[in-house]
Amino acid sequence: MRQGEPTLAKQAGRTGRKFSALSLIRKGMRGGDWPRVWRHHDLAPTYDVVIVGGGLHGLATAHYLAQNHGITNVAVIEKSYIGSGGSGRNTAIIRSNYLTPEGVAFYNRSVHLFERLSQDLNFNVMFEQRGHMTLAHSDASLRTMRWRAEVNKLQGIDSEVITPEEIQKLVPLMDVSGQARYPILGALWHPPGGIARHDAVVWTYARSADAQGVHLHMNTEVTGIDVKGDKVVGVRTSRGDVSAPIVINCTAGWSSIISDMVGVKMPIHTRPLQAAVTEPVKSFLDPVIVSGSLHVYVSQTARGELVFGAATDPFASYSTRGSLEFIESLAGHVLQLMPSLAKLRLLRQWAGLCDMTPDFSPIIGPTPVDGFYVDVGWGTYGFKAGPVAGEQTAEAVATGRIPKLIEAFQLDRFEKGTLTGEKGAAAVGH
Amino acid sequence: MTEMRLPPQPGEIIDRNAPLSFTWNGKPLTGYEGDTIVSAMAASGVKVFSRSLKYHRKRGILTANYLDPNTILQVNDEPNVRAGHRRLEAGMNVSSQNTWPSLEFDIKSANQAVGRFLAPGFYYKTFISPRPLWPAYQRVLRRFSHGGRIDDRVSDDHYDKRYAHPDVVVAGAGPAGMAAAIAAAEAGANVILVEEEYAIGGHLRYGSADDLAALAELSARVQANTNIELLTNSVVGARYDGNWIMINQRDPGHVRERLIKARAKTLVVAAGTIERPYVFEGNDLPGVMVSGAVRRLVNLYAVKPGERAVVFTANTEGESAAADLAGAGVEVAEIVDARAGGDLVRAKGRTKLSTVEVGGRSIDADLLVTSVGWTTPTSLLNMAGSRPVYSEGAARFLPGDLPDEVLVTGGMVGDGTTEQLVAHGSAIGANAAARAMKIRARWQRLTPSALPPETADTAEGSVPDLKPEAHMELYRASTHGFVDYSEDIKSKDLISAANEGYDLMELNKRYTTVTMGPMQGKLEVGNAVAIHAEATGRSIADTGTTTWRPPYAPTSLGALSGAEMNPVRYSPMHRWHVAKGATALVAGMWIRPEHYGDPAGEVRNVRNNVGIIDVSPLGKLDLRGEGVPKLLNFVYTNKWSRLPVGSVRYGVMCAEDGVVMDDGVVGHLGEDRYLMTTTSGGAGGVWNWIDDWLQTAHPEWDVTMTAVTDGFASINIAGPKSRELLSRLTEVDLDKETFGYMKVREGAVAGIEDCVIWRIGFTGELSYEVHVKAGYALHLWEALMEAGQDLGVAPFGVEAQRIMRLEKGHFIVGQDTDGLTKGFSLGIDWAIKLDKDDFAGKPELEWQLADGARSRIVALQPVDPTVVPKEASQITEGTEIVGRITSSRMSPTLNKSICLGVVADHLKDPGTIVDVRLTDGEIIKATVMEHHAHFDPQGERLRG
Repeated sequence: MRQGEPTLAKQAGRTGRKFSALSLIRKGMRGGDWPRVWRHHDLAPTYDVVIVGGGLHGLATAHYLAQNHGITNVAVIEKSYIGSGGSGRNTAIIRSNYLTPEGVAFYNRSVHLFERLSQDLNFNVMFEQRGHMTLAHSDASLRTMRWRAEVNKLQGIDSEVITPEEIQKLVPLMDVSGQARYPILGALWHPPGGIARHDAVVWTYARSADAQGVHLHMNTEVTGIDVKGDKVVGVRTSRGDVSAPIVINCTAGWSSIISDMVGVKMPIHTRPLQAAVTEPVKSFLDPVIVSGSLHVYVSQTARGELVFGAATDPFASYSTRGSLEFIESLAGHVLQLMPSLAKLRLLRQWAGLCDMTPDFSPIIGPTPVDGFYVDVGWGTYGFKAGPVAGEQTAEAVATGRIPKLIEAFQLDRFEKGTLTGEKGAAAVGH
Repeated sequence: MTEMRLPPQPGEIIDRNAPLSFTWNGKPLTGYEGDTIVSAMAASGVKVFSRSLKYHRKRGILTANYLDPNTILQVNDEPNVRAGHRRLEAGMNVSSQNTWPSLEFDIKSANQAVGRFLAPGFYYKTFISPRPLWPAYQRVLRRFSHGGRIDDRVSDDHYDKRYAHPDVVVAGAGPAGMAAAIAAAEAGANVILVEEEYAIGGHLRYGSADDLAALAELSARVQANTNIELLTNSVVGARYDGNWIMINQRDPGHVRERLIKARAKTLVVAAGTIERPYVFEGNDLPGVMVSGAVRRLVNLYAVKPGERAVVFTANTEGESAAADLAGAGVEVAEIVDARAGGDLVRAKGRTKLSTVEVGGRSIDADLLVTSVGWTTPTSLLNMAGSRPVYSEGAARFLPGDLPDEVLVTGGMVGDGTTEQLVAHGSAIGANAAARAMKIRARWQRLTPSALPPETADTAEGSVPDLKPEAHMELYRASTHGFVDYSEDIKSKDLISAANEGYDLMELNKRYTTVTMGPMQGKLEVGNAVAIHAEATGRSIADTGTTTWRPPYAPTSLGALSGAEMNPVRYSPMHRWHVAKGATALVAGMWIRPEHYGDPAGEVRNVRNNVGIIDVSPLGKLDLRGEGVPKLLNFVYTNKWSRLPVGSVRYGVMCAEDGVVMDDGVVGHLGEDRYLMTTTSGGAGGVWNWIDDWLQTAHPEWDVTMTAVTDGFASINIAGPKSRELLSRLTEVDLDKETFGYMKVREGAVAGIEDCVIWRIGFTGELSYEVHVKAGYALHLWEALMEAGQDLGVAPFGVEAQRIMRLEKGHFIVGQDTDGLTKGFSLGIDWAIKLDKDDFAGKPELEWQLADGARSRIVALQPVDPTVVPKEASQITEGTEIVGRITSSRMSPTLNKSICLGVVADHLKDPGTIVDVRLTDGEIIKATVMEHHAHFDPQGERLRG
């Protein structure tokens, strides 16, 4: 395989690709445009690796293939613009307080990568670690919170159960009076959790992959994947065919359709997950708030908007439109938590597609078709896993071995009955 | 400040006899009834209403209506009020947002000096290192966030909802919308006509004498037609699949806001057009307005917008605005006609407009009016799947293809005289009615019991042409200016973002945040698209617009939520429990008695005498038909084919992944007649699940299922004296030989017929569970309390029951099990019969058996019996997690700490000592017990 283009990265420094306050001032003084963050390319006839899907996962995989493994003859094929799917529709929450040891280890690695991402790739992704709070409205959920806290603590994750009084201090507008229909009895508090600017995470990986020689092809749709015997040989696209010995399915919403192209069945059904955002108001909410019982999560962006999400719609669909029922119940639930928000206005609603697996855990790794890899089944937790999923997928592809962090997420677990149950922590667990 | 109120104007809507006092940033001001907040302020001479987001530039009136990005203000405790739209009320405290320490002197306006370094996305390029400083940067950035402030007091405002079933909803009551509503109503349709403003009429309201006359006539016809329900100060917020229409009715009386959910047979969109601002240097200076702003201020509110004006126009609206100004005594220094080659270059002024530069000349002016074209607000059409199509000749996007049940008229379609707009609206309204009648007839045919279809005229008439007038494409001058006022985005910013690589419209939008602010692009999308097209060398048509998403206008959480509707379920004995001082426990939808003051005492009383507990929330399903045994065999893991009449059996349900989902008992009451109980929390889920199997996988099974959870209340009578107590109230033979453990009988108790009585023992004591028709349950409860006085009968709550079941070693699904607990982990292998043909979860359970259960539920006894480890304490081997405590209590019966827990398979053998890590980190030892039951493991008491 072709080695990376180190000269390009060096050039970046000289040509003003590096971002810093200083470069910003220099640019402000001298005027003129910034160098392009990524470039257009013709479709090459052959790539070493073709990645289907230019979202966070596909772009992170491309970046780590290049950076960690020197594999740069890579194409990322995106049918719309980069980040147009789940990467640009999620609510940008990052945390590692999962329930199973496998989940904790995996997401903890992701949090560490997020913490370094802005510096490592020289693009501020605005990761704000303002804390993540999961409310308990019943004895049973309080018990589950304590369980998660205990598992987390043993794995070195900052995670603890806090009282209503402590909740009130962190979120003064929260109704902890005990008079609510579903009173707040406590919460799981995870200080390293927070939010990032989801688009920026996509762009930083795209920019870095491009700088290392990866080709990004937007507005290019994969229409078929060619297999000879039981081996992948190439990809057909709306702009022409390319040959490639390795194809990685990094899509969400369409992952079962792409896998169908090589005859690999995915135990996935796709459901819409809706979200909404309010008008901006002055900062009043630091942590991310999650209530599993009320099916809602809330955070306030740096811009002042509240971002809301909830559980997936209870039916399979490929629609990315929102519904009235969703914003009605969402508003009701938010007001139960923070009644003084009644006059705040909802500005926009939308939906993204979630590929749900039976055990609420992803599928990362090889498939029965030689050369065809998947990084799919990301349900409602794909954003927070983007960096680590890219890193691990790249390693699996480059080395042909399955890294330890993703051993629990193999496709064959559905045949062996060794599911990885994250239902308890993932069902509405943003 | 100078008084800017004009003498009475012909169309003015203010009531000069009704002055209203209010305050602006603490200063007292006066306006009139009918004023908007902005018109009252402008009449008092206010020029600056806000500071911009990033540069904190002073901003004045731009559009003087709902969409004005520069007049979003805080009113009392309400943030982000559209003061260009909101009617003035006496006593309002109006203040500017996003300014500190004051609107006039704002420290952050220093940002203007460094503006060139604050290009869009600047935050992505800086604050990167050193990393430890990032939290401090964050706090600074967050202080720049826009918008008003949330008041921490909870107001006592009310909101409600209404369902409506109109034939036709008309969105917008301008001339075409009014005409559409009238025509539809006259064709027999019932119509809801929705207008965003406080009064109907659209642009006729601030038009000529002829316009006012036409408005008066149309308005009278609307008001007189009883088929039309008119909603003003209301907005059609969204259109969802099936023409499900959301209407936000603001201030309808009695409540603050109302959300109307209308299943409209047809929707007519007549939202008019939105006037586009022009992009040029200085276009955000106070004193620069669009022509509509001037026309509204002068004609509706009698406010003089300035003293000396320059009008830049490419159409007749600009000329009308100039005429309005002249009529109001404003000196019109010059009308610059773009059609004749007139060129507006830039506007200058330090904090407000002072000169206008036009084709090489400078003109002194404090008012610059632009009229450069329109945007079609296709939002509702997009929600119906329509993609707007760009017309170069008209310089605006026009509606694309529409589904049959959505129609469009008025300015969104084209331009014309009032007569032409009315003619088009009438034709569209009549067609909307005809289509609605067709749908109505179809619905009636689908309902056999309905009246025969009405014979309505469903023929559609022809629609007269309404073409957009030719208009020059005028988006940006030779200079750069603001495109998005709310977000402080300039044309230069969009171009540089495109050049940097964000060269698809959506990428540019996301990078610069253009159109992402409170206006959601309604004002700025046309300019944003045109400038992006310019930057990328593509046409506007190829560039396309950004996606318009619901809602059309921002909608309060209060309105969306409506009145709080959180159902609560109470058992028939609830009031009795409250009267006896029970502590309430919120258990899902139910409120239950947790205890009556002394749970340990309640336990001792059950162990020694007799207690009664209200277990009404138990899920109850009445199952009938020959197929019931097949169903039971399928949903439970054990066998049900030979359950005799008169017996009950315990069963565990596993989901298809083999994970335990519920447990309960089923009684065989009579031939083909069964009663199933589920856990309280699982009641709804099990009902859904079984229904799913019956409807989809096994419709051939003869099973009729009825949920009777609320129909029967349930009382458990437990304790050594329970037989004695129950025998005093029933003729049913309770003899321990004939009515043994796990048997069921039906009969009268306390005079109530058809009670179901079964012998089970969750508490580990001799006990009878009585299911009684809910309406008679309180009587039975009181009768038991009365009849058992001498036996020491006392009520016990959920906590005492939890303690006793733990003493007895009975697990609770969802507490002692979790999302990973498969059947064989329960430690009750006898209840799983893999030799059955098929049942839910069977393959997974076979795998589990072959691989060995990964974990087991066991009873655990702390070596130090005084220590009660908290539930969820982890069981560890070194740093590895090998189990956890799932239930723990101090046993009042045994006077020692007792636990249930989950341990890894290799630790399940009795006598194994495990490490339990308490939540404070201390490690204690606990012993794995032989039986789940700490108390009476042989079950002598419950079989007694």
